[in-house]
Amino acid sequence: MRMDTVIMGGGLSALTCGIALAKRGQRVAIVASGQSTLLFNGGSMELLGCVDGKAVTSPLEAIAALPAEHPYSKLGADRISELASEAHSLLTDAGIVMEGKADANHWRITPIGVAKPAWLTLSSHFSIDSLGELPCKRLALMCIRGFFDQPNGMLAEGLKGLGFEVDKLEFTTDEITALRRSPSEMRANSLAKRLVSNASLQRVADEINRLAADADMVLFPSVLADEDVIQTLKSMVKKPLRLVATLPPAVSGNRMQALLRHYFRMLGGNYLMGDTVVSGTLEGDRLTSVTTAKLGDMPLRADNFVLATGSFVSKGLVADYGRVYEPILDLDVDADADREQWTRFGVLEPQAYSRYGVKTDAGLHCLKQGKPIQNLRAIGSVLSGHDAIKMGDGTGVSLLTALAAAQSILATK
Amino acid sequence: MADKMQICNISENNFEQCTKCSICTTVCPVAAVTTDYPGPKQAGPDGERYRLKDPAYYDKMLKLCLNCKRCEVACPSGVHIADIIQSARMKAGEGKRASLRDTMLANTDLLGMVANKVAPLANATLGLAPTKLVMHSVMAIDKHRTFPAYSRTKFETWFKRHAQSRQDAYPKHVSYFHGCYVNYNFPKLGQDLVKLMNAMGYGVHLLDKEQCCGVALIANGLYKQAKRQGRVNAASIRQTVNTDHRTVLTTSSSCTFNLRDEYPAILGIDTRDVRDNIMLATRFIYRLIDEEKVKLVFKKDYQRRIAYHTACHMQRMGWQLYSIELLRMIPGLDLQELEQECCGISGTYGFKKENYERSQAIGSVLFKHIADAQVEAVATDCETCKWQIEMSTGLPVENPISILADALDVEATRQANGL
Ligand code: SF4
Ligand code: SF4
Repeated sequence: MRMDTVIMGGGLSALTCGIALAKRGQRVAIVASGQSTLLFNGGSMELLGCVDGKAVTSPLEAIAALPAEHPYSKLGADRISELASEAHSLLTDAGIVMEGKADANHWRITPIGVAKPAWLTLSSHFSIDSLGELPCKRLALMCIRGFFDQPNGMLAEGLKGLGFEVDKLEFTTDEITALRRSPSEMRANSLAKRLVSNASLQRVADEINRLAADADMVLFPSVLADEDVIQTLKSMVKKPLRLVATLPPAVSGNRMQALLRHYFRMLGGNYLMGDTVVSGTLEGDRLTSVTTAKLGDMPLRADNFVLATGSFVSKGLVADYGRVYEPILDLDVDADADREQWTRFGVLEPQAYSRYGVKTDAGLHCLKQGKPIQNLRAIGSVLSGHDAIKMGDGTGVSLLTALAAAQSILATK
Repeated sequence: MADKMQICNISENNFEQCTKCSICTTVCPVAAVTTDYPGPKQAGPDGERYRLKDPAYYDKMLKLCLNCKRCEVACPSGVHIADIIQSARMKAGEGKRASLRDTMLANTDLLGMVANKVAPLANATLGLAPTKLVMHSVMAIDKHRTFPAYSRTKFETWFKRHAQSRQDAYPKHVSYFHGCYVNYNFPKLGQDLVKLMNAMGYGVHLLDKEQCCGVALIANGLYKQAKRQGRVNAASIRQTVNTDHRTVLTTSSSCTFNLRDEYPAILGIDTRDVRDNIMLATRFIYRLIDEEKVKLVFKKDYQRRIAYHTACHMQRMGWQLYSIELLRMIPGLDLQELEQECCGISGTYGFKKENYERSQAIGSVLFKHIADAQVEAVATDCETCKWQIEMSTGLPVENPISILADALDVEATRQANGL
């Protein structure tokens, strides 16, 4: 089967790149092995959150000072602003409504109540522009009885630490209580499937209005399936209402993924869910086709290929007892040869492995034995030289490298 | 040593690969609508740990699993969640004493054979209010369901009378596993396949012995019978592949998935040697066109807007691409691919009284997408999805093969292929 471009991997970077290409009329196939880590996203995108342990105020300024091996440096610091605004509009077109600026971070609140710098946050979610100037004083933190995915105690302590007054208000309704019969299912995505009808939302709103009469703002766990449901609940609640991220898998991530996938399909893109690229055929400095587990002896041929297979969690990188490698084509990777260097004691310490990834040239072309493969570009978490956890640059790298790769593919035509 | 350790660590259904990420729980259509079902993670890898310690941990609610495989498609770690659940059901001896209703629903061919002989009567009777009420209360088959109409002439009978004698004259040949639905309910789909393949220069042949593939038997826990029928099918397929050197084509995604993957995984019938020779007709045809071995020419005046629905087993096989890309070749066809959601019928599941409401609740998301798509028909490769979507949306549902046959300019196609 012949495509213009085949993208390996199905997460944020793959979908972004696929949409950008399909919009310009390309025939694109995305090969997605299962769901991606986008499902864990609590509703924010980060461009650059932290450098050397210090929070970044202006990502655009800080990016200019990053070392040469960082993916942003490869794109060119002068292009970041334009790529960032293109990414923002692509998300908006897909129906993902987010707010934020590339030259000034705001603060998102993690499910355990930590404030972290962010670039974009869903408009329906709680965020703070400046920690010195809180938007209000008294927060009502709505706590659903028996709910697994929100550590209320930690969240409340975190918010208090920022200077808010917090009332933890526990509540339930008949629908929610019914769900507790299967305790393992008392999760965010299960709740999202039940809290849909106007009647069930009204029962929730009645509880909020009864309990939170004194609050300036109501914080509600992000367990609402879509924008319509959110707007309905907001209209029923008397106080201003914002959502707070829950532990993953997150409803917001699930929704963002569905919207991007839908947009891609509407543009005629092929999203091959649950299939995996197992090998590829190289001819000289070009990749001519890839074989997937399910399409079997009918390989996917294309002019261009994109590697968006993610990091270790998504199996875009694999570590065995001896080495770190890229499993499809055994591409060159940036990783320490000595296994002792991979990790360091203490989960919260910076870990060397989180910067590992495939090597690329300045045009994001993958390398094999030092030579670039001319029609294979790498994007997103599989790239080396960045650290989603310690630098808060994961989603930004995914979005921006995806758009840059799409631009360079379109330019080769 | 390192290599060996990796291998020793992998169990039959690789449940130890589960990272507890809970992603599977977000896609299970059953857990979405009922709290009675523990969900794929709990029913699959988590429960398996306990069941290995003591079979008494088996949870009867595992029978609610549709075996739709959506959890497996979503799992980023490749855990065979639904296989774990089916094996656990089988080990627990479920279905040893299947009810009359389950036996009747599971035996799609038996039911078909009887109904077929008395088709006008059966269609009238199965549709009558009193009959439906008796079925609802005595047999526990839901009264809202309309039984798919039975055809008066079986596909096999039609084929032998009207088509068989012409087939040897074609230069190339394929075999056809038609399945119960084509044989008893909807021979037109089989006729459409014959029309399409003939126009491309391929003769179509029946298998030596074809029995129901058994997908419904497995779902209803009748594993022994499924194995018996499976062995007959495997032998016939092996014979045509090895002796006649023919590929075996199918027009039902569930039959295909069952023959290729469930036979070895669940029934222990090893079909891996012929697996690559069993395929959906859309994949076979797509490949011929892709390799420029055949051409399809379509009518100039064909104009339709259709939505494509990916059946669960189709999604598991990952082959919707072929059906979609073939349909996109028809110039006047405006095709919209629907988001992949379960329609809720899952074979015979939705026919059972106790499942009816759950089945409709599961399907509601898909029905809404279909309404939003504003189409005149829906295309899908699964016959039970067809019943469910037709009943629930009122739109006609057609197999891609029928749409292709309908849009085909037969004479021009024959000429283009040198006939
Ligand atoms: S998706 Fe796979 S790895 Fe994740 S919990 Fe389910 S079975 Fe385990
Ligand atoms: S096979 Fe379908 S019904 Fe069964 S656990 Fe998996 S997703 Fe749920």
